[in-house]
Amino acid sequence: MAVSLKRPFTATVSAAVRSTHTSLSLPASCRCFSVLNRPPPNYEGHIPLTRVERLGLAAGSGLLSFLDPRRGDLIAAFGEATAQPYFIYKLRDRMLLNPTGRRILRDRPRLTSTSLAIPRLRQLPSNTLGYAYAAWLDREGVSPDTRAHVRYIDDEECAYVMQRYRECHDFYHALVGLPVFREGEVALKAFEYANTGLPMTGLAVFSALTLKKAEWRRFWDIYGPWAIRNGTKTDDVINIYWEEELETDINELRARIGIEKPPDLRTIRKAARDKKKQEKEGREHAAASAV
Amino acid sequence: MPPRLPVIAHWACPSTPATRVSIFSFRRCASSSATSPEIYDVVCVGGGPAGLSLLTGLRNSPITSGLKVALIDGQDLQKSRLPKDASLGSFSNRCSSLTPASVRNLQEIGAWKHANASRIQPYQEMQVWDGVSDARISFDWDTARPLLTPRKPSQPTTIAYMIENVNTTSALLGRLEELGGVATFSSTKVESIELGKDAEDLDLSSWPILTLSNGKTLAARLLVGADGANSPVRSFAGIESRGWDYGRHGVVASLKLEGPGRGGAEHKIAYQRFLPTGPIAMLPLPGNMSTLVWSTTPERAAKLKSLSPNDFIAMVNAGFRLSTADLEYLHSIPSGQAEEIAWRGKHTPINEAQIPTNVVEVQAGTVANFPLKMRHADTYTGERVALVGDAAHTIHPLAGQGLNQGQGDAAALVKTIEHAVTTGQDIGSLLALEQYNSDRYAENNAMLGVVDKLHRLYAVESGPIVGLRSLGLRAVDAMGPLKGFFMNRAAGGA
Amino acid sequence: MAPSRAHNCVRILRYATTRPLRSPSIASIPRRTAPQAAARGFSAQQPKQHEPAKSSVDPTEVSHFNNLASSWWDPQGPSRLLHLMNPLRHTFISRCLSAPAGTPLPSKLRYLDIGCGGGIFAESAARLPKTASVTAIDPTPEVLKVAELHQRRDPLLKQPGRLTYLNKSIEQLPIPTSAEEQYDIVSLFEVLEHVNAPGPFLTQILPHVKPGGWLVLSTIARTWTSWAVTNVMAEDVLRMVPKGTHDWNKYVNEAELRDWFRKQAGWGGVGDGMKTLGVMYVPGFGWKEVPGGEGWGNYFFAVRRDA
Repeated sequence: MAVSLKRPFTATVSAAVRSTHTSLSLPASCRCFSVLNRPPPNYEGHIPLTRVERLGLAAGSGLLSFLDPRRGDLIAAFGEATAQPYFIYKLRDRMLLNPTGRRILRDRPRLTSTSLAIPRLRQLPSNTLGYAYAAWLDREGVSPDTRAHVRYIDDEECAYVMQRYRECHDFYHALVGLPVFREGEVALKAFEYANTGLPMTGLAVFSALTLKKAEWRRFWDIYGPWAIRNGTKTDDVINIYWEEELETDINELRARIGIEKPPDLRTIRKAARDKKKQEKEGREHAAASAV
Repeated sequence: MPPRLPVIAHWACPSTPATRVSIFSFRRCASSSATSPEIYDVVCVGGGPAGLSLLTGLRNSPITSGLKVALIDGQDLQKSRLPKDASLGSFSNRCSSLTPASVRNLQEIGAWKHANASRIQPYQEMQVWDGVSDARISFDWDTARPLLTPRKPSQPTTIAYMIENVNTTSALLGRLEELGGVATFSSTKVESIELGKDAEDLDLSSWPILTLSNGKTLAARLLVGADGANSPVRSFAGIESRGWDYGRHGVVASLKLEGPGRGGAEHKIAYQRFLPTGPIAMLPLPGNMSTLVWSTTPERAAKLKSLSPNDFIAMVNAGFRLSTADLEYLHSIPSGQAEEIAWRGKHTPINEAQIPTNVVEVQAGTVANFPLKMRHADTYTGERVALVGDAAHTIHPLAGQGLNQGQGDAAALVKTIEHAVTTGQDIGSLLALEQYNSDRYAENNAMLGVVDKLHRLYAVESGPIVGLRSLGLRAVDAMGPLKGFFMNRAAGGA
Repeated sequence: MAPSRAHNCVRILRYATTRPLRSPSIASIPRRTAPQAAARGFSAQQPKQHEPAKSSVDPTEVSHFNNLASSWWDPQGPSRLLHLMNPLRHTFISRCLSAPAGTPLPSKLRYLDIGCGGGIFAESAARLPKTASVTAIDPTPEVLKVAELHQRRDPLLKQPGRLTYLNKSIEQLPIPTSAEEQYDIVSLFEVLEHVNAPGPFLTQILPHVKPGGWLVLSTIARTWTSWAVTNVMAEDVLRMVPKGTHDWNKYVNEAELRDWFRKQAGWGGVGDGMKTLGVMYVPGFGWKEVPGGEGWGNYFFAVRRDA
């Protein structure tokens, strides 16, 4: 009888091999494979990667998306490659600790233009989240359906968490009113990093280095501090059941989760532009009058 | 030295609920001891496993069987005996894991054959893992050996024996009855302990005089404190006990599992998972029964006790399966754990082969909890006083060593007394007792220290410590001889 | 740690051995301090010098002794090493009693402890279940008082006839006229090394041993190691004991004892009639048996009177 439970010698060896890993929540068997014997996917669309492949993916997608921030697919891949093995599990755990987060994990709702019924949102009172969201989509000219599918996260539940984070991204924009161009995106990523802890969002903040001087100054003076302050003190935004909050007063929602709306970036930029224009005009005027 | 010690002390025998005994004021004691006390060589206060083992050892040894011995217990000792017709479908929630060394001692003093063997469960394997990182170590005598040295078939496969404490005390009481010769004062409280007087022809000023609730007074050449963690004998001797409370409670319960276990009835497995709040252990009992010891925060212990049987069972199953985040949430909701856990089971990768089979039933009335402490007396001996078992030390239950330490104390004290008798020493003198203290103190202290460090190490929830401890655990797991060393230590140096 | 242990060790040797110095029988014999005595033989003859006085006790030694007496039974006190050695004495005696080819002794034994001091050995012998009685003698009243006071602390020892202390020297003890008055075990622990003339001293003891009974003693061998430890280290180097406490010249070697007893008719002739056990104090471990240790330090010696 004892024999049936005896650990074979190979098991001892593999235990020693495993000891070099620092796997966290997944059974070690999910991690030990090479490109030659790739295990079956854990969910539809899943591509299991070896550690080396994951590192390569992280480096490549990171570099390319830094060079071309409009490549959403690359940013997505970068986010997935860097979220494991630790960060996405931590984010999932934070959902598990929250009743609403748990409900989201149970229901696994997906955010698409159909599920959200965008035209209906436009009919909602103007103080609601739904209206603000639709208005934001319209203003920025984007659609919720452009989000890439998660492929590289190994755990199927964590894959959903990644998907959810990605699909909710536009709601964060709408909630705080930040636009999609680089300056707004960087501010929002900083907020997300402080709030979710996902490495991609933190690394994306480095693209602030490519900002223009005036934009950099605004980020340094206004949006950066706002992002850190709000990201850390606000409740986890991943635990907001957006589908249930569409008819909620947006200010009430902000108050509930403890977030303050930053100064409107478009307004500031417009004011700055106008000021610059005026100055320029003034200079031209002065030059003309001097002539 | 103060001649006596007026204290009000809690009286807790290891196996019995605490009751109170007050030690009266000096004057009253002085008058009560005017009648000359009956003189005993050994007076043991406390009829728990340690005290009974000591007396059985003394009565069993031809060298010490001439000593006049007495046993005093505040509880009715018949109540610490197992009913003859006890059903194998129900078990006491106070169980212990007896090491082979403890069992060997019980065999040597002739007590083991008095135990109800059908209620004892030897186990051959132990699975221990980290609830945060899943790093795992398995203990069995097959893998704990050098790589190229085959195991001798004659070597024992048993790691330890699960036994109800009441079965151990019954066995010892059975053997004591067989041996006879113990003046037993059952359901009798010690009202006071004081030092004797210097009369004209006899100077008992170094002898403890015990006044019992039945009016009798006994003088003890050697007074043995086997009277539990709040030992009045220890207080009398003025020995400090130091340590700390863990801020944790041990939740115990008798459980019925789906089957006899993954190794079948012949290969039983003990499981322990270290959670940041404390370890949860499932230890095999005969048949499909198991005993639970779950060390956790007092709040969580209270929550677990308040749950419906269905939710409690689900929580125990979850304790071995779900993530620490899930467990934290599950302890925060008032009810409905079973339903939540069923859902979480679907999304948590679980290797069923490495964890205990599902709990299907909790034996009614067996869910209980008790605070966990670390205590160690400054010394085990004083003039005419020796401490054994919980009176000398209290340990975190994570290594299942508490009762075994008491058995080791009893065996060592018997050996010391034997030597003292052989060489004509006064068995109550500090000099004669010195060997007992030096035999046991360092060993118990080391065990207390290791267990305390393990508790601290595994209380860490995240960060580099988790990685390091996991690396260490896996390394030990891969090194047969080192593992064998640890197993030997845990087995009582077998 | 080592120095304090060594300190104790040396003090013990001193305390243990100062007693017999004041024994009238011994004090009447002048000290021999001549260096050439190192090569002395061991004879039954009295030394040539003669001092007439039936010796009085030196008063300064008495006060010193009273200080000692109070701490005699303190397990951590200066007598600690003697206390620790005591169980070994019983082990050695048990071995003697189980030696083959001896006349069976009665089931209950009579002990005579000569130079009992505070009663360390006498008490322990009296407690043994196989003991009929213990007579313990010491010529010094003060130590005997210590012994008697301590005896009162144990009801067992107060049983009539179990343990009797006598303030006497060996020559004051009447010479037995019948086997009933003789003793099964006569013990002489840590005394011999302070006796000027061991031969005559032993001769006085012999009649008290019952035929088939044992004379058991312990002492220190006269070797370069014992000289170094007790005289040089303790007195000159560490200065832990006053100079002159030990007279190394008086130490007796095991071979000398054997020789002497071989010459006595009716002693150690039957079977394994002479026994030796070398012992050493190992700091941290206590007294340990050292096979062959009788040749260079503390040792036990026993001889059986032929039946």
